[in-house]
Formats: sequence, C-alpha cells, structure tokens
Amino acid sequence: METVEQTKVAGGRAHTAPKEVLREPLALGSPTLSDITNKIAGIVEQKPTAKFMMALAASAALAGWGVACIAYTIAVGIGVWGLNNPLGWGWDITNFVFWVGIGHAGTLISAVLYLFRQKWRTAINRAAEAMTIFAVICALLFPLIHTGRPWLAAYWLTPYPNQMQMWTNFRSPLEWDVFAVGTYFTVSLMFWFTGLVPDLATIRNRMKEGTISHKVYTFFSLGWTGSMRNWHHYEIAYMILAAVSTPLVLSVHSIVSFDFAVSVLPGWHTTIFPPYFVAGAIFSGFAMVLTLMIIAREVLDLHQFITLKHIDNMNKIILTTGMIVGYAYAMEFFIAWYGANPYERFVFINRATGDYAWSYWSMIFCNVISPQFFWSAKLRRNIPLTFILSIFVNIGMWFERFTIISTTLHHDFLPASWGYYSPTWVEISIFAGTFGLFLTLFLLFTKYVPIIAIAEVKGVLPGNQPTHHHDDHAHAH
Amino acid sequence: MFHDTSSEGRTYWKSVDEIHPTPETQAVLAKSRSNEFPENYDAAPPSGVNRRTFMGLLSASMALTAVGCRRPDHKIISTVRQAEYTSPGLPNYYSTVYSNGNAAIGLLVKVREGRPTKIEGNDLHPASNGASSAQMQASLLNLYDPDRVLKPARSGGKSLSTLDNALETVAKAIQSANGKSVYLLMGEHASPSLAKLVSELQTATSGLKVAIIPDLVANGAAEANKALLGFDGEFVVDYSKADVILSVDADFLGSDKMSVRNIRTFAQNRKPHGEHAHMSRLLAVESNYTLTGAQADKRVRISPEEITGFLGAVLAEVSSLKSSNRFSSLVSAAGAAYKTEEAKAFAKELIAKQGLVVVGAHAGVAANTLGQAINVLLEAIGEGKPMDPAHTLPMSNSKVSELAKLRADLASKNIATIIYADVNPYYSAHKELSEALAQVPNQIAFSQYDTETAAKCTVFIPVAHGLESWGDAKNFDGSLSIQQPLISPLNTSSASLGDILLMLGKKLKADFYGDKASYYDVVRANWETEWHAVGSQAFQSFDAFWEQVMRDGIWKRTSGAVSLSINESNGAAAVASGTKISGKGDYTLLITPSYAVGDGSMANNGWLQELPDGITKITWDNVALVSQATAQKLGLAGIDQTKMKAPVVKISNENGSIELPLWVQPGVADGVLATVTGYGRTHVGVVADNVGANAYSLLGASGEIGYVKVSVENAGKMHPVATTQQHHDLMGRKIVQETTFEKIKNHDHELFEAVHVPGRAHGDKSLPYSITAKYDYKGHRWAMNIDLSACVGCGACVIACQSENNISTVGKEQVINGREMHWMRLDRYYVSTSERGADNPEMITQPMLCQHCENAPCENVCPVAATTHSPEGLNEMTYNRCVGTRYCLNNCPYKVRRFNFLNYNKEKRSPIEFSANPEVTVRMRGVMEKCTFCVQRLHQAKWKAKDAGRARIQDGEAVTACQQACPAAAITFGDVNDPNSAVAKGREDHRGFLVLEEINVRPQITYLAKVRNTTPIA
Repeated sequence: METVEQTKVAGGRAHTAPKEVLREPLALGSPTLSDITNKIAGIVEQKPTAKFMMALAASAALAGWGVACIAYTIAVGIGVWGLNNPLGWGWDITNFVFWVGIGHAGTLISAVLYLFRQKWRTAINRAAEAMTIFAVICALLFPLIHTGRPWLAAYWLTPYPNQMQMWTNFRSPLEWDVFAVGTYFTVSLMFWFTGLVPDLATIRNRMKEGTISHKVYTFFSLGWTGSMRNWHHYEIAYMILAAVSTPLVLSVHSIVSFDFAVSVLPGWHTTIFPPYFVAGAIFSGFAMVLTLMIIAREVLDLHQFITLKHIDNMNKIILTTGMIVGYAYAMEFFIAWYGANPYERFVFINRATGDYAWSYWSMIFCNVISPQFFWSAKLRRNIPLTFILSIFVNIGMWFERFTIISTTLHHDFLPASWGYYSPTWVEISIFAGTFGLFLTLFLLFTKYVPIIAIAEVKGVLPGNQPTHHHDDHAHAH
Repeated sequence: MFHDTSSEGRTYWKSVDEIHPTPETQAVLAKSRSNEFPENYDAAPPSGVNRRTFMGLLSASMALTAVGCRRPDHKIISTVRQAEYTSPGLPNYYSTVYSNGNAAIGLLVKVREGRPTKIEGNDLHPASNGASSAQMQASLLNLYDPDRVLKPARSGGKSLSTLDNALETVAKAIQSANGKSVYLLMGEHASPSLAKLVSELQTATSGLKVAIIPDLVANGAAEANKALLGFDGEFVVDYSKADVILSVDADFLGSDKMSVRNIRTFAQNRKPHGEHAHMSRLLAVESNYTLTGAQADKRVRISPEEITGFLGAVLAEVSSLKSSNRFSSLVSAAGAAYKTEEAKAFAKELIAKQGLVVVGAHAGVAANTLGQAINVLLEAIGEGKPMDPAHTLPMSNSKVSELAKLRADLASKNIATIIYADVNPYYSAHKELSEALAQVPNQIAFSQYDTETAAKCTVFIPVAHGLESWGDAKNFDGSLSIQQPLISPLNTSSASLGDILLMLGKKLKADFYGDKASYYDVVRANWETEWHAVGSQAFQSFDAFWEQVMRDGIWKRTSGAVSLSINESNGAAAVASGTKISGKGDYTLLITPSYAVGDGSMANNGWLQELPDGITKITWDNVALVSQATAQKLGLAGIDQTKMKAPVVKISNENGSIELPLWVQPGVADGVLATVTGYGRTHVGVVADNVGANAYSLLGASGEIGYVKVSVENAGKMHPVATTQQHHDLMGRKIVQETTFEKIKNHDHELFEAVHVPGRAHGDKSLPYSITAKYDYKGHRWAMNIDLSACVGCGACVIACQSENNISTVGKEQVINGREMHWMRLDRYYVSTSERGADNPEMITQPMLCQHCENAPCENVCPVAATTHSPEGLNEMTYNRCVGTRYCLNNCPYKVRRFNFLNYNKEKRSPIEFSANPEVTVRMRGVMEKCTFCVQRLHQAKWKAKDAGRARIQDGEAVTACQQACPAAAITFGDVNDPNSAVAKGREDHRGFLVLEEINVRPQITYLAKVRNTTPIA
C-alpha cells in the first residue's frame, strides 16, 4: 500500500502502520524489552533510598496519629467530633465520599479503558488500581468509625443468619453502600492482583533463590511460567474481570449518591445525583492519579513511560468530567428554581450565600473554573500547572461533598432546629491520618510491586502487537 | 394503706403504720399462697393445742408484743426490708404538697420500690388540676442531688457528728444570748403547723424573734392591697372569669408562683372551638418580653418609668367612661399620663365586658394600687369575680416591716445569734444587710445545701428535702393539704425543718410540745385540734379523716374570705410614694424570677439549668436582654447570635455591679435591660456554681425585685451563650399556622388549605400515591393533638418528659455544640405584622417532638432496622440494636431525634441515678433516642385494661408525661381508631394542620392553629 511506512525499532523488527493513524509513541526512547524490565523491576530491587525511608516514616507517623485519633473517638464517643443535632454527618461522610470518589479512576482506567482498547492506559493502570484499593481502604474506615458503636456496626451491618432472625434493613441506602463498596473493593483487589501475577513472576525470576523475598514473590506469582497456556488463561480472566468491574464504575458512586438522593431533605433529594456523582468521582480520581503519577514520574524517573501524551489524555478527561460536574451544579440551581419547592430553593440560595458559602465558592473555583485551563493543548502538557490543578480539583471535590452535606443539614425544614458545624482537631487529624495511611500504602506499593505493568507496556511497544502484514499474505495473528 | 381509689388506678397511700392490703392484693396473695404451700395450709389448726404449738404461739406472741408495743413508726420503710405495700415492679402514687414559697401545689408522686421517681400534679388540688410546672417536676432531681450536705458540720473546726450534738451547740448558743435577741430567719411558707411551731418556739424561748425574708421579695401587690383595700396579702386570680385582661408587666402565665393554675384558668376562657366557643382578650403592656406578652392579642412595649402614668391614664379613662370620679386623687398622684391613646382604647375594652387589670408584684406599690383601683371600678374584685377575696395566698403579707425591725436590731448590735432556716441572704440580700448580718457573732444555718450563707455560719445542720419531710399547707382557696414524705431522708443526719425546730425547742425547754416526739406528731395533733374538731364532722374518727386527706392530698373546705375596705386616701399615698425608680443611671434594669431556676434556691438542678428559657431559649445563663435600639445605643448591635457568643456588659449602680452578656431580644422596651434572678450562685454545688451572674446584687435596700436604675458599659469581652435555637424566623414557611377568632367565627378556614401537596388538588385531603402498602392498624393507633392556641411555652412538658424518660442533661458546652437531649422541645418563632414590627413582634411557641410519621423517613434509612413502625402507629426506637449511623437524624424533617454523642449517663454522680424511671432504658453513648409517646405508659394502660378484662384501652387511660404535665391542657393523646376519642375528634377541627404535610411523611401529631382574638371588644 502506498501509505505504508517502514519504521525501524530497536530489536530490528519491522513494524508498519498507516501514516495518518500513526500515534505518538507510548514509551519514549524506544526501549527494548529488557530495558523495560530492568527499569521497572529495578525500582523494586534497589535498596530503599534515604528519601524513601524519610517519606515512609513521615506518612506512617501521620497514619499512626490518625489511628490514635480513631482509637480516641471509639473510646470516648463521637462527641469528640464537632457533629451536633442538625448535622449528624460532617467530615466523616465527606471523607468517605471523597475517598470512594478517588478510587473511581482506577477502575475506569483499568477496566473501561481496557475494554475500549485505550492502550495509553498501560503506563498508569497499575498505579491507578493500587490507588483505587488504597483509597477504598481509607474510605471504608469512615462508614465504620462514624457510627456511634463501631464494635457492633462492624458486623451488624452485614446480613448474617442468626437465631433472632434479625436481618439488616435492605431498604437503607447505607446497607446498599455496604454491598456496593464491599463489592467494589473485592473486585478491584482481584483485578489488580490478577494483573500483577506476570510481573510478580518477573521479579521472582530475577531474585536470588532461597531468600525470603524470593519465597514471597514465588507465593504470589501463583506458579506463573509465562507459557502460552498461562497467558491464554490470564487474558481471559483479565477480560472477565474487566467486564465485571465496568458496571461497578457506575454503580458504586451511584449508590453512594443514594445516601443523599433517597433522603427527603432539600438539596439531597434529587435525581441528578447518580450521574453527577459518577462524573465527580472520575474527575477527582483522575486528578489524584495525576498528582501521584507526576510525583512518581519525577522521583522514580519514569519520563520514559509516563509521557506527556498520558498527561494530556488525563487532562482531557478532567476537563470533560469537570464540565459535567459544572453542568450538574448549574442544573441543580435551575431545578431548584424550576421545581418551585420553597425548601429546595432556599437550600440552594443558602448554599451560595449562606454560612457555608465559602465552601461552595471554593468548590466552584476549584472544580469549574480551574479545569478551564485545559482547553489549551499547551497547558495540558504543562507539568507544573497540571500538578497544581490536579490538587485544586481534589480540594474542590472534597468541598463539593462537604458543601452537599453541610448546607443541606444545617438549614433544613424547621428554622428552629437549624445549626452550624465545624470540625474538631480529632476529625481533622483522622482525615490527615487517612492521607498518611494512603501514602504509606502507596510508598510500600512503589517499593514492593512494579508500579508500571511491565508485561502490558511491553505489549504496547511498537511491533509487539499482532499485525496484519500487507506484503505478507499469510495471517500472522 | 393501699386503696385503688381513682379510675386512673392511682394508689394513694396514707401512712405506713396502718397498712392493709387491698382485696385484689389479698386475692393475689391467697392465690400464690395456695400454689406455694401444701393444700390444707389454710386449714384451721387442730383443736387442743399441744405443747409444741403452745410454745410456738407463745414465742410468736412475745415477738409480736415486742413489735406491737412500739410507737407507730412514721418513717418510710427503706427497701432493705420488703415492705408489705410495695409490689416490686408496680408503682404506688402518694399525694403530698409542694410549696413554691407560700404557694402550695398538690402533688402525686410516683414511687417505685420505695423511691420517688416522678412528680405529677394532683388533679384534686385546685392549684394544680393535675398539671405541674417545670420546677415541681424538677424538684425530684434536688432530692437525689449529691451536692446536698450529708452531715452537720462546722464548729470551730470540731466535727459535729450527730444532729443531736449540733442541736446542743445551737441550744447553748441561744441560751447564752445574755438578754440580746436571737433571730430565726425563714423563707415564705404556707404551712399552718410550721407557723404554729415557730410561734410556740417563740413563746418557749425568750428573745427569739422571727423574720420572714425570702430570697425573692416582691411586696408591691401586698402593699397595694393593704393601702387601697385594707387587706395585706395577694389575690390568686381566676382568669377564666375575665373577658378582657390588661396585664401590665405581670407575667401571670410565666414567672408567677401560681402560674400552673393561672395557665389553666386562662386557657379555660380561650376556647375558640366547640359549642361554647369563647375567647377572652389579653392586652399586654410590658417592658420585657414575657410568656404572658407572647400570648397577648395586643402587646404594647412600655418603659418602666411610664407604667404608673399609663395606669393613671387607664384609671382616668375608666372612671370617665363609668362617669365616676372615684380615685381621682390616685390619678393625680400617678403623675403625667403616658400612652394615652392605648389607655383610652384599652379602657373602652375593659368596661365593655368583665375587665381585669393585673400588675406585676415587682412593678411596685404605685402601679399595683392603680391596678387595683381600676379593678374596683371594673367590679373585678368580689365574690365570684376574677379577684375573689376567698382566693388569696396564705401568709402573703408585705414583709417590709419585718425587714425594718431586723435592720434596726442589726444596727443596734442587739443580736447574739442568728439562725438561717433554709434562707440565703448572703446570696440574695442587699449588701448593707449582709454586711450587718456578718457582724452577728453567732450564725447558724439550717440548710439543704452548703450555701453562700451556710459557709459563713459556725454551725450547719442539713435540712431534709420536701419529699423527705412531713408537713402541711394551706391552699389559696382555704383548703388544706398534708405533706407526706415519700422516702426517709437520704442523708440520715438530716431532718425536716419542722423536726429540727422541734428538737431545738426540746433542747431549750424539756417539755416543749409535750409528748410530741416528732414533727409528724405535731402536724397530726394540729390537724386533730384545729381542723378535725371544727370542720370535719363527716368523719367519725380523726384517723379516718387523716387517712382521707392523705389519700386525696387535699381537704376541701371554705374558709372565710378576707374582708376588704377601700381607703382611697391611703391608696393615693401609696401611689405617690412609689412612682420613682430607685438608683442612679441611664438605663433601667428589670429583674424578675427566672423561668427555669426561679429564685435560685433550686439552681443546683441540671434539668432546670438546661431548660431553655421560654422566650430567649438560653440555657445555663442569665443574660441582659435589650432591644435592638438599646444595643445600638450601647454600640453593641450587630453581633451574630447564631455564633452563640455575646458581648459582655458591666451593669452597675450604687448597690453593686455585675457582668452579663448582652442579648438582643425583640419586644423589650428601649432603654431597658431585663435579666433574671437565680443565677450567679457561688457556693451551692457543682451544677450551679458560677453559672450566670447574681442579679440580686443590684437591687435596692428593700431587696425587692423589679426595676432599678443602672449604668451600663461595655466590658470589652465576649461570653459564650448556650441557646437551643438560633434562628427565629419562619422564612415564610407554613410550619406554624395562625388565625383569628374573627375568622373562626365566620368559618373562614382558607388559611389551612394553603399548603400545596404535589399531585393533590386544592382542598383535597387524600394521600398521594405511594409505592409501599399502607399500614393496617388493627388495634390501637396512637396520635396526638397539640393546641397551639393553648400552649404558652412554660416548659413543664419538657421537664416532665425528661423525668419520665430518663433524658440526660449535657451541660453548657454540649448545648453550645448543639447536643441537648430534650425529646420535647419548644420551638419559638417571631412574626412581624403590619401592626407589629420587628421591635415588637408576635411570638408563637410550637412544641416539637417525634411526629411518629406513618411514612417515616427515619425508618427506611436505618441500615440495622433499629427504628421501625409498630402495629399501633408508633415509630419505635430499639436502643440495643442501634449502631448510631445518625442517618435517621439527618433524614428527620423535624430534627427531633437525639443522639448520645457522649456517655452522658455515665457522668452522673450518685445518687442521681435513683431519680431514673425504672420503666425506661438508660441509653449509652452512640445510640439514637427520641420521643416514644411514653410507650411504657401505653403498656401499663394496656395491662390495666387487660386486668379489667377489656381488650382495648379506653379514651383517657393512656396519658403521656407531657400531656399530664401541661397546665394549659394543650395536649390531647389517644387512639384515633376509636372515633369517639378526644384525639380523633380533635384532629377533625378546622384549625388542625400537619407540619410539613407536603412532604408526605404523614405525621401523627395534628397541631391546632394558634388563634388570636385580634378584634377589639366593644
């Protein structure tokens, strides 16, 4: 064909592709297969640096402080938080929704983009999935510790057969949460682990036999040999898990939004919540992936694999979901006006002008205004700006949840019962502690697990895909 | 004895020494005996007593002799031994009497296993009519207060270990007076026996003088009656007999001692519905916003300086309308007329129908004299009139002369010993008086608490609580009540005041009161000689009479009405003497009793401290209330009260100086600061110490509450103020609905159909479509009606609920955090109208409690099914299933659920836990709670019905605690499945509306719209 162009790659194999679909390479510098293995597995194999140890110590200390504050809360009672009568929820559920939302990007990248054959996902999917799991761990803390009696909630929230025939209330959105988030966590973990098996086996193979780490990696690589048969099963399993995960991207945050939407309260009782929450979750999830990957890219020198193209793509998603979220904000106000429900109308006016207006406008600035920079292709590839905006988006999404919870609860139906809420040092510490926990887990992840999917990156290198050679009429699948 | 006398199944106990089981109990006993013992246990013993039986009978009779020879023991038997009359698990009800100063109110006290757990009003008692006040209810908590003093103490460092030792010391002190006088200072009381005992003690002890110096002094009414009517005392007004009531700074529905009765009689003549629809018209002229002003059909703000001038103008107008020139000297003595326009209009209304003027006793003698003069013209005083000479408070005479004598004796240093019998002048008296008292060498305190006064004394003797003491009381209508103890004194070293005085008398004179060994004997003997002998021939024996009175709690008799003789010139002199407000300063401070803690003697009471003020909703503090204009003048306007912080002002005059947080209260007259007594205790207990500031310290030398001139300056700091309500505007929402009597009479019900329910046509009352099946209420279906027109917001229901349901108090800090636990709260909204602007808004109180929604939003969101719908329509809370997600709280549109954020119950100090109702679970932290419609009472009513062989509870058998306490009878409760029940009929009233009906939660509480009689009576 006249448009076919020959490309030389390292390793000397020929690859042909139509010129107009020729894309930016997903790994820069034309690495060889062994380059990739050495680079990524090397991160695991090298001795932890002093910087790493300091970072780990700092985040572990923060996590420890959070755990101490959780212990204090459980020992004394929820009264050590700032919650009160009209505001039964505050930072606790804000943080829960915030962390669950962050967890969304992982599944979206690993499952949905996989099914849509978005190959650029390979550089970031492993870290994004890890982030999902860690974020969901942080999120799962809150539904448990926010209860008045967590020692009972820990098992009473699960339906288990008992002599009293006392079941959970299946009508409660909180019960749906238990299933939704529980399922999400389980599936995400399985999906992540399945994807890890070939890479763990790679590390195993590079380890000195007889060491403890060799044994551990041997155990977790599940006897992977890299045979065709292994790969065959792996690909099928991975595909099935991706298919199972995909609906979860929509279901988890839809169900989390039901915590609000199913209520009777103005500002919560609205049908726009499920799509709006899902979009917001993806929005915040991508922002968090960006934050982490930009740091990892610099610290671990992964410029080769996490390229500007990746960042550009993610920024596009942030722009899109940010616009969806902005549309939802506007639509809430429109419906509040159009619906002519005086309570709802009041809640939205109060949201923008009342006691928590500072929170609302922080949210608008971070979520609606700041992503507008990404209309510019140049700015989408500007690392410092992307880094700053990704943090803005996360702040904004935290404020979104806080605004929804606090503005609706603090001024609802009867003015006589209105109140105000601000957190205590305990709540702030617990939230900070979840960041400590998240970072601790993430740092350990970078140290013990290949943070980029070695096998998958190899798969997206030019020439490694099954290709149809037009000059060779034999099918080479 | 143990008689089931009333249809409610209340058991009135008479005395322990003559206990007989009821026939029912006997039947139960016989049954259990027949099961427990062999068949022929009850068979007669074989004739011919053998040796063993003889010995047995002999020893048994010896033992019986030993027991039987004892003087009847009048003390309550402690539950260490099983008392014959108590059935474990079943409550007994005993009648007794509660005295708020000299105002006696009958009580029924519920006793479980020997300890009082709940106070209720005695429905046979005319001051109570079955209702109660917040203080009456809360006095139970003082009984179990750990801060009450346990032992006699303080004699130059030596321990006075026993009551006897301590009294010995007191007696010696009295005997060594060396010709100087000994003073016994007492508070107001209504007890004829105590009065007699004190006078006997005076006879027995030379040089013993007695002065009544209550903490709270308001002589205005008594002085005015003395001057104008020749009667030194106070009337108890029957508001049901008045058609037009002009209330001038009189808070007869609020801080008045007789407010429980006043609310009832006032409500009786304000029934806008039914066949005999009638409403009196209340015109309120006041300087502070009171609960009475909140009920007013027309309310006018007045500066205290203008009160006499205004009343003078009303008097002048009434006389001219009546074409009488009586009391013209009073009119001229009243000085310049104020608010003449209103005076003219009000006078016209007052004469149109039965008019009545009530003036606050604290408003001084001039204003009260003018008020009584108008009443004379209106013919409001007399037999069968609102002010009936047969209805007066006992011993309510003016205390001015007694105080003058005490002062003179103090000035001449002629007092050797002074005994404070449960009074606290070091807290409440003017500083000159307390400084003079401090000069007395020997000071002795008989007191419940180690008070400010007791701390200055050399001997301290603990006095028992009213529920631990025998006594009696004369009621306002001349009837008499016996005060019987419900429990032996918890502090074994304490005794009732009567017992202490009797023992002291015996120390001073061996044959004092002859063989009467205890105050119980004194009271009994008094009743035998004074009352049984003269007026109770219907009873064959005194014992039968005594039993009957103890059972009923009252002996109705008519005593002679006081005689009145009008003396206009004395009246004019009284008016002239008191038109000026004492003190120096630019502002006028109004000091009245606190709605919660009253005069301060009950201040160490968490329930009362945490009871939100009826108007301001402030707990745990007294504040200085001012109008917006005054705050602006002080440069302290614009403070956001929702932040629960207030600027502190220093209020001072020549008498003293206090610091109070400044609080803007709409409706207060400009230039006026209003505050309350009862706070600023420094030496009483952990609850009350250093809460608020002591307003008594600004009062003039007479110690009378009322108005004083003060200067005010910014103290330059902020003080946290714990309010339970920070938003006061209805925001245009139809949460509370109002109408006028005019509209009701014209059958204009438009107002109540204005709520738009989606999917429902205008006027259609059918329920919107629901995807869930409707509940099928086969048995009972409980519901409540609350008449907003009757409710005055007194707070009795709040404390009754707290007492009945073991609701924790949480403390000031937690109230600021918004964590108060009251299941029943009184929402208060201001309403501005075209006639009444933001500086004098109308006020509406709405009792808010769990609405027991049929379509309850809390039920479906609980993940563990801890809150569920009962087959009888109750929204039930299963505490031990609750894990505390608080979703139910969030989703409650009425925000009536209460979460135990901390382990409030664990923080209670013993023996406070004994005040708990054993029928209600005590909740731990992390658990949600809320109104249960007193489900324990419903169960008891069911058991009663079942025992009586009925399948259903009859209307009126199930009574909730709030309903029972309500002095206005604003709450109706019952079964709506019974079409003839009061609640089923009441909810059909055109005034009925559901709060937030439009969100289709289907509440089971129907509110009846507030009605105001806005049309002037002509």
